[in-house]
Amino acid sequence: MEALAAQVAHPKAAELAPEPTAAERRVGWLFAGTGLALFAAMGLAGLTMRLTQADVIGVSTSWFYRLMTLHGAGMLTGALLAMMGGLWFVLRQTVPLRLERALWSYAAILAGALAVVAAVLVGGFAAGWTFLSPLPFESAGEWSTWATAAYLGGLSLVGVGFFLFCLDVLTSVVGAYGGLARALGLRFLAGRDDAPPPPQVIAATVVSLEGILASAVGTTILMALIGRTIDSNVEIDALWAKNLTYFFGHSFANLIIYLAAGMVYALVPRYAGRPWKTTKPLVLGWMATLVLVATAYSHHLYMDFVQPGFAQYVSTTASFAAALPVAVVTIYTGMMLVWGSRYRWTLASTLLYLGFAGWAIGGTGAVIDSVIPLNFFLHNTLWVPAHFHTYLMLGVVFWLMAFVVHLAERAAGRPASRLATILAPAGMVLGGYGLVASWYLSGALGVPRRYAVHFPGTQGYSLAGSIAAAVFAVGFVVLLVELAALGREALRRRRERPVEHASEPPARAANRSGVLGAPLADELELGSVVALATLGLVAFLPAVVDASEASPQWHHLDHAGQFAFGALLGLALGCGVGPLRRRLARGPSAAAIWAVILAPAAMLLAMVPGIYEALEDRSALHLLYHVGISALGVVAGLGAAGLGRGVGRLALVLSVGMAAMYAAGVSGG
Amino acid sequence: MEPSFGNPQIAVIVIFGALSLALAAVFALIAAQTRRDVPFESVQRVGYWIRKRWLAFLLVLLVAVVGGSLFSLPYSSGADDRTVVRVSGGQFFWSISHERLPAGTRVRFDVTSVDVNHGFGIYDPDGRLIGSVQAMPGFHNELDLTLDQPGSYFIGCLEYCGRDHHLMSRRLQVTED
Repeated sequence: MEALAAQVAHPKAAELAPEPTAAERRVGWLFAGTGLALFAAMGLAGLTMRLTQADVIGVSTSWFYRLMTLHGAGMLTGALLAMMGGLWFVLRQTVPLRLERALWSYAAILAGALAVVAAVLVGGFAAGWTFLSPLPFESAGEWSTWATAAYLGGLSLVGVGFFLFCLDVLTSVVGAYGGLARALGLRFLAGRDDAPPPPQVIAATVVSLEGILASAVGTTILMALIGRTIDSNVEIDALWAKNLTYFFGHSFANLIIYLAAGMVYALVPRYAGRPWKTTKPLVLGWMATLVLVATAYSHHLYMDFVQPGFAQYVSTTASFAAALPVAVVTIYTGMMLVWGSRYRWTLASTLLYLGFAGWAIGGTGAVIDSVIPLNFFLHNTLWVPAHFHTYLMLGVVFWLMAFVVHLAERAAGRPASRLATILAPAGMVLGGYGLVASWYLSGALGVPRRYAVHFPGTQGYSLAGSIAAAVFAVGFVVLLVELAALGREALRRRRERPVEHASEPPARAANRSGVLGAPLADELELGSVVALATLGLVAFLPAVVDASEASPQWHHLDHAGQFAFGALLGLALGCGVGPLRRRLARGPSAAAIWAVILAPAAMLLAMVPGIYEALEDRSALHLLYHVGISALGVVAGLGAAGLGRGVGRLALVLSVGMAAMYAAGVSGG
Repeated sequence: MEPSFGNPQIAVIVIFGALSLALAAVFALIAAQTRRDVPFESVQRVGYWIRKRWLAFLLVLLVAVVGGSLFSLPYSSGADDRTVVRVSGGQFFWSISHERLPAGTRVRFDVTSVDVNHGFGIYDPDGRLIGSVQAMPGFHNELDLTLDQPGSYFIGCLEYCGRDHHLMSRRLQVTED
């Protein structure tokens, strides 16, 4: 094994990282391999679009916008999936993540991706991946309602897969490290913990917290839009929809980078031979990131002048400030680790290193765009795809490739050939930066993004970009050919000598059940929740129900109250009734996780007026409907009771918050 | 319409180009240094010393850039005697209350939409993007501009709105008198 390490990693790497187990390798291959395949397919769609804008080929505008929608959704899904696998791979070496839950996440995301593909290629859905309401319902004859429903349903499934991943990661790290504060490194920061979690655990905890928040917001807007496909009388406030959509989309895109950063913390030491340790600046940086990712999204609404001013001021500050932890902690520390380290340059480690540059340069373009007076001239121009392709394609995707090649080089027992190690990165760097340069220049010129046909006189930029993209593709093909060669080598080695998988060490074998604690720890907390639930009964009073009929929004708020009543009741039952408490205290079960994901989503769908209007004339059925809303709350509350103190409380608050958010923006019917 | 660079755009390209080249040089320099064998303690000692100053520099930059930008926000103050031009976007057209305006008119564009989200982007006669604002159904966004230069202004859509998004355009004439 040492000989192998010397071939494909730094000589000191074996001291720094344990051998991956079979499960870790398989999940890594499955997630990253699927992500790489999606990148290849969506890259072809992207090249087709660029050639169309250059007038080289003649794709119809209908198909251009379909490809544009598919490209955006597919690329983000592929990168998300791959980086979930990458983080899972490195995280499981210290945290007992469960294989079956990773596979459920994978299945949900894959099913979602297939629904999106069907919606776009068969149904003609072309509202852009950001599905900004009400465009999905105003297709100008291009797609039908089922395509909208399939797209939104597919995206919801992708969200469910990520939600499940985040809940599993969060409950597992909290269990393994004895609390959320310790998993976040806060006890270490306060000087009360001598053995902080490794950086990838802190990254995973922050990403999961943020991911749960983004998933809750995403579920709310997606269920509202799906409701509109069921009942065309549903009215959705455009500003509300924009805020929720961009919170969800911005967070998802950002979290892909931070998922990747968590993986990079564990991979760089294998080539630099130096450990990436948790320090107080690192913890502070991640705490800042936790706040800044959630507050920066409003930069997507800078040109919506009706957006409250404070949101714009907070956003411009947060968008700039979000670069600080990246520039001062993650990238800076990464560079310190490799400086004078006799870094082992292989194809994987070269791509790993190049990813840092893409993140830094693309981040700089994004920071410029986040300054409001400059955004005035750059908003929705090609400057936007320029900067996000720099940190996603030349940052995250390089890390995705680095991860896959890392797995392949280890399996083959040799590094990639010298020719491929030079040609693949050279082609992709030359072509990639050429492509984004064509966007930066034409974006600064004011050429709009998302145009099937560009302004006369600007096609030259698209042609230059297409040529550059083709050069990138050549480098990528070299990488694929080398991967195939490494794969053949790995299979040959496996036939000759079966792979010795590292066994599951005791620390990884089981969760430290009981460490999570219960959301309600004592009689006082239990009594408080019971009292709150009793207050929630107000939502059932005939006078309140009748008064809420004044408008759909008031009625939705009443439904939110009924759901909150049920959720609090479920929490109290789960924490207060002996047999239930003992069962739920065994650790976060799959049922508990599914309950907090699916029950709030079902509650939002049930709030579509077209579904409950028919019941309103029959008081018994109407009451039964309201009891049903509460029953979904009970399910969510019971699920929350099984997720431990911190995560359970968060899940409960978010599920009730989703109902309240929905009431704020959805009317009609 | 063939777009051209204005002053803010040139500044953006120059600043970003310079920063990108500087970053590329730093990454190339660090890559060259990876072949050396330097004790990590030495790297940390120097690295942490530089990092504190790097953080201080970025914080000063944040305060200067973000703080400074807040004094030149494009948002309308609302209380001003401007010529109100009502603009309404729809799939795939712009309705505008004025066909032509005299040069030097201080305009307040009152922008909304009759169906989906659109983006009101206005280019001066030289093809420079001089500003944009979103057109949202159910909301009115107010954009203040002074149209000094006579000629034909191009209005395009800067928010993807469907099949003929790229065709959604209109002209506004600004006359000498």
